[in-house]
Amino acid sequence: MLYPTRPTVPVKGHLPVLLPMRSTGEPLPLTDRVFNLWTAALLFVACAVALVTPALAQQDGESQRSIIEILLEWTPTIGSGFAFNVLISICSMAVGTVLGVGLGILQVSPLRFVRQVSWAITQFFRNSPWLVLLFYCILLIPFQIEIFGTEVPFPGWIKAVLGLSLPVMAYMSEYVRGAIMSIPEGQWESAESLGFNRAQTMREIILPQTVKRILPSWMNLYAVLTMATPLVSIVGVNDVMALTRAALSAEGRVDLLIPMYLYILCWFFIYCYPISAFTRRLERKFSVQL
Amino acid sequence: MSRYITTTLASAALALVCGQVQADQLEDIKEDGEIVVGVKQDYKPWGYLTSDGELAGLEIDLARDVAERLGVELELVPVVASNRMQFLSQGRIDLIIATMGDNEDRREVVGMIQPNYYAGGTNVLAPKSVGLEEWSDLEGRDVCALQGSYYNKRVTQLYGPNLVAFAGIPEVTSALQNGNCVAFLYDNTWIESQLASDEQWADYEMPFETEDPQAWSIAVPLEELDGAYGEKMSEIVTDWHKTGFLIERNEANGIAPSPFLQEMHEKFK
Repeated sequence: MLYPTRPTVPVKGHLPVLLPMRSTGEPLPLTDRVFNLWTAALLFVACAVALVTPALAQQDGESQRSIIEILLEWTPTIGSGFAFNVLISICSMAVGTVLGVGLGILQVSPLRFVRQVSWAITQFFRNSPWLVLLFYCILLIPFQIEIFGTEVPFPGWIKAVLGLSLPVMAYMSEYVRGAIMSIPEGQWESAESLGFNRAQTMREIILPQTVKRILPSWMNLYAVLTMATPLVSIVGVNDVMALTRAALSAEGRVDLLIPMYLYILCWFFIYCYPISAFTRRLERKFSVQL
Repeated sequence: MSRYITTTLASAALALVCGQVQADQLEDIKEDGEIVVGVKQDYKPWGYLTSDGELAGLEIDLARDVAERLGVELELVPVVASNRMQFLSQGRIDLIIATMGDNEDRREVVGMIQPNYYAGGTNVLAPKSVGLEEWSDLEGRDVCALQGSYYNKRVTQLYGPNLVAFAGIPEVTSALQNGNCVAFLYDNTWIESQLASDEQWADYEMPFETEDPQAWSIAVPLEELDGAYGEKMSEIVTDWHKTGFLIERNEANGIAPSPFLQEMHEKFK
């Protein structure tokens, strides 16, 4: 496409022309994303660390195992802990999304009272620290509940799922509210003229259109939630952080602390990066074309 | 949708109401065929994780023995100092065997089983180069410690160190070796076993007289202390001392001989 070029010769009496600002919406080619100066630097540093640290460690004594060896040895245990984190994140996301969509719809209810209450709930959970909500859930909910004579166990991780799903619910509620508000009024009016009632309009016309607007934020939220799951180790759930700490203390080696936590960071990065990369692609796909 | 919210709120309320623990826990344990014991997983060699993901250590041996004597299965739940008593009073676990010191404040919350099964005191691990000699040398210095340890308060009040508390032992030892603090305030039993077994502590020492001897107790819920369950546990601990089981397990886990265990063995023999 041709854009008007700025006049190079000053013309007497001309007015300044505001040229359109263009951000480069074109995605970086995959090769540029994977192989650039930064990834090269990172790769170099990673190689250096991998090569130098064991060498340093071996200076202490020949009998000591190298750090890589120890990391590999603990990988199954830590991997199972990480799987637990993923499970917690998926469950919280599921619970939080279902509740959040409900709450979001209530936020645009025609009834003033319902709107006010759902707004208050959303704001409360959206602006509370995640860790505090987790503490409340872990310490206030009993470990088993008696329903009709049968005891239903309520282990710590389920409480953690509940605790984490509360903020997810609140964020989701805001996303849904915003998305519904962003659907042009005309959609409601045409639905009404076709004889749809409010519930039908919401279910069959408005909500399906919000999906593509919510999806990128929703996936972002999931990535953030996954990275927040190590919080559950503080409230006594045996997740990847708790297991790492146990591993560190079992090995009793001070030089292991940084590589071990770096290792965990890599696990999270490898899991979360594709999600955020995919989100960016979706965002571009759904971006509003004016 | 509002019905959905109501249901959620109602079930949350129900959850808060029905948290009561029934009396006579011993019967319950036997009926379930399982005892749930809270143990440490970051306190080698008392309770630690092996690379296969299994728990091991002196206290895990004790928990096994309890389960065996009751004829039930054993479930181990890793706990830390800051959540073990809540877990017990909530009913998440039936028993604490997690290096827990016996003191007045805690006796109001959980049922401390007598006799005590172990004992430790307070000391510090410090580089020899710092040259600490007296407890009072700590005044105004940065001292690393562990969150939730009972002696943090006492030592701060008596000697006025600048306490830097961490969440776990790996973090503390790393801070100590990086020179972020002059000493690590901890349990003398742990320090002794580290100094004896690990080369990385070759330039470190335990410079002070061990202070504030503190007996460790296994704990049951407070209301069970005088019931059948508490009595049974007390009987088991007495038997551990009497038969020398504790001394034997102590040695098997590579811990330096404990004068306390010897003394108790003589007493109950």
